[in-house]
Amino acid sequence: MPWKDGYTISDEKSLADDEVRWPGGARCCVSITVDLSIASGPEGICAADLKTPPALFGMGQGLAAVLGMLRRYELKATFAVPATIAHINPDKIRAFAAEGHEIAAHGFKHEDVSALERAEESVRIARATDILAEVTGRRPAGWFSLPRQGDPFAGGTISPNTMQLLIEAGYTYMGNGLADDIPHYWVTDFASRQAILTLPYYYHFDDQFFLMFPRRGTGLEHPDALFRNWKAEFEAQYRRGRHFNMTLHPQHIGWCNRLQLLDDFLAHLRSFPDLWNPTGEECARYWLETYQASSYLRLEPSIWQDYPGSLS
Amino acid sequence: MARLPVTSLLDRELEDLRQAAGAYAARHRFIPDFRYPRDVRIAVNFTLDFDSMLLRRLLNEPPMQLAKGEFGGRVGIWRLIELFDSHRVTATIFTPGRACELYPQALRAAVRSGHEIADHMWEHRVPKEAELEEDHLSNTVAALEKISGRRPAGTRSSHSAALLRKYGYIYRSEGSADQRPHYELDENGENYLVNLPFHYVIDDAMFFSFAWLGSENAAQRITDPERAFDIWWAAFRQQYREGGYLNICMHPFVSGRALRVAMLDRLITGMKSLPGVWFPSCEQIARWCLGQFPPAGAS
Repeated sequence: MPWKDGYTISDEKSLADDEVRWPGGARCCVSITVDLSIASGPEGICAADLKTPPALFGMGQGLAAVLGMLRRYELKATFAVPATIAHINPDKIRAFAAEGHEIAAHGFKHEDVSALERAEESVRIARATDILAEVTGRRPAGWFSLPRQGDPFAGGTISPNTMQLLIEAGYTYMGNGLADDIPHYWVTDFASRQAILTLPYYYHFDDQFFLMFPRRGTGLEHPDALFRNWKAEFEAQYRRGRHFNMTLHPQHIGWCNRLQLLDDFLAHLRSFPDLWNPTGEECARYWLETYQASSYLRLEPSIWQDYPGSLS
Repeated sequence: MARLPVTSLLDRELEDLRQAAGAYAARHRFIPDFRYPRDVRIAVNFTLDFDSMLLRRLLNEPPMQLAKGEFGGRVGIWRLIELFDSHRVTATIFTPGRACELYPQALRAAVRSGHEIADHMWEHRVPKEAELEEDHLSNTVAALEKISGRRPAGTRSSHSAALLRKYGYIYRSEGSADQRPHYELDENGENYLVNLPFHYVIDDAMFFSFAWLGSENAAQRITDPERAFDIWWAAFRQQYREGGYLNICMHPFVSGRALRVAMLDRLITGMKSLPGVWFPSCEQIARWCLGQFPPAGAS
C-alpha cells in the first residue's frame, strides 16, 4: 500500500517561493473564480432555489455588476457553472464567455457526490460536460466542486472517485484544492503517479462565508473581515511571488455595500505592478508545461508502517 | 425509609461540592514567587500542534478536509520554521508520533534549526485501554527520538501523568488554571508535571479554522488576522506588564497560510521591540521551573 494512501493527496513539500515563476516575469498570479451556483443544500440546485429573489438577482443585476467590475479593472475570471444553470441561461453564459472569461464545470447541479456510486457519478460528469460543451461550443477544461454556504465543511464535497473520474473524462484541472496555495498535483494513484492538476482555493477568500453567513437574515455581515483577508493574503502572496485566488458569488458580492468593497479591493490590487491574471485553464496549461509532474511531483517512497492498535 | 429533611440534603450537597472543589484545587501547585532569569520580564512560547491531517482522518472528515490539513505539512510548517528562524525564536512542535512517517523532512529541518520536538500523542488520540495507551506513548517516544535524537520532555495531551513520568516527561501544556507555569498532580496527588498553560483565546484554530472539531456553521471562525493580532497583542502587553507568561498555540495548516505568517511576523517584531522578552522552548521553561521552584513535598 502506498504510504500516504488515505492520508495525503500530494508530495511531501510544496515548491519554495523562489521556485515559483510566472509568464513574462510577473510577480504574482491572480485568479478570480465566480461561482454561479445558488444551491442551498447538498442535493444541489433545486426548483425552490431557482424561485427566489437572490437567484434572479444573481443571474441578473448581481452578475452584471460583477462583470462590469471585471471589465473596469481589466480582469478575467473563471466562472464555475453548474450544467443546469448553463442550460437555463445559455445566452448569458455565451455572452460573458465571449468577453474572454472561462466557463468551467461545477457539477450537474452542484450536488454533493460524496456518497454516489462510481458509475452514477461518471454519468453525471459526462452529462454536465456535454451540456456545457453544447452551450459554449467547447468542452470545459476545468471542474469545480466548491462548498455551499450551509455545508458542514468549507472545502467542497467530492467522492473518493471524483478526481479519477475527472482524469478519465479528460479534464485539464480541478479548480478548488486546499493542500497548497499554488497549483499542485492531486495524486489519484501513487504507483502509476497518476494525478490531476489542482488550483488553489481557500474559504477565507470566498465571499459567501462572510456576507450574511451562515444564512440570509442572520445579521452576521463581515465585509470588513473579508476585505482584510483578501488584502492580507494578496499582499503576502505578492511578496512571495505566489498565487492569489478569490471566489465570488454574484448574488452575494453584487449587492450595494459589498459591490463597493469589491471595487475598493480590485482598485488596491490593480495598484500593484506585474500581475498575471489568467483564467483557470491558462494557469493550468502554463503550470502543466512549466512544472511537469514527471520532474516536479516529488513522491517519496513509503515509510508508513502498520502497527497493531493503530489506524493503518 | 424516612426522607431526610431538605436542610440536611442541602448540607450534604454543600459538603460534596466543597470536597470536589478542594480535591481539584489540591492537584495544583502554583508558584507565587515565580520569576524569570535576570533581565527577563516575560517568556513567550510559540507552540505548534503539528496535526496536519491526522486528526481530520481520526474524526473521519471528508477528503477536502484532509487536503486542508495537508497544507500544514507541505507548506505551513516550512514557513513557520523559516519565520521563527528569521527571528531567532525557539518554537516547540507538538508532534503526533505518526507525523514522523508523513513529514520527516520538515521535522528534521525543525531539529536542525534547534526547535523542540515534543509529544502530541501517537495518532492524535489517547486510547482508554491502559495497555494500548502505553503502547501508543512508547511508539511516540521512539518515533520522536529517532527523528530528533532526543526523547521528548513534554506533551500536549491527556496522557496519564504516571505514564508520562515513567517515560521521563517533565511537562504538559494543556489547560489554563493559572496564567503562569505551575505544577499539576494526578488524582492520587502524585506524579507532578510542570504545566505550561495555554488558553483557547491564544489558539489560531479558534479564529481561523472552519469546522473545528465539528462546530456548527453559526459558530464558524473566519475572522481576519488583524483582529487576532489585536487580541494576542493585548494579551501579550498585559502579561508583559505583570511579568507573566504567554503560550501561543498554532496549527501549521492554519497559521502557515501566507496572510497569517505575515501577521505573526508583525507580532514577533512587536514583542522583540520591548526589552526582556524571552522566546525559549517549552522544555527550557519547564527545567527553569523545576530548578528554581521545585514543588515542595510533591512526588
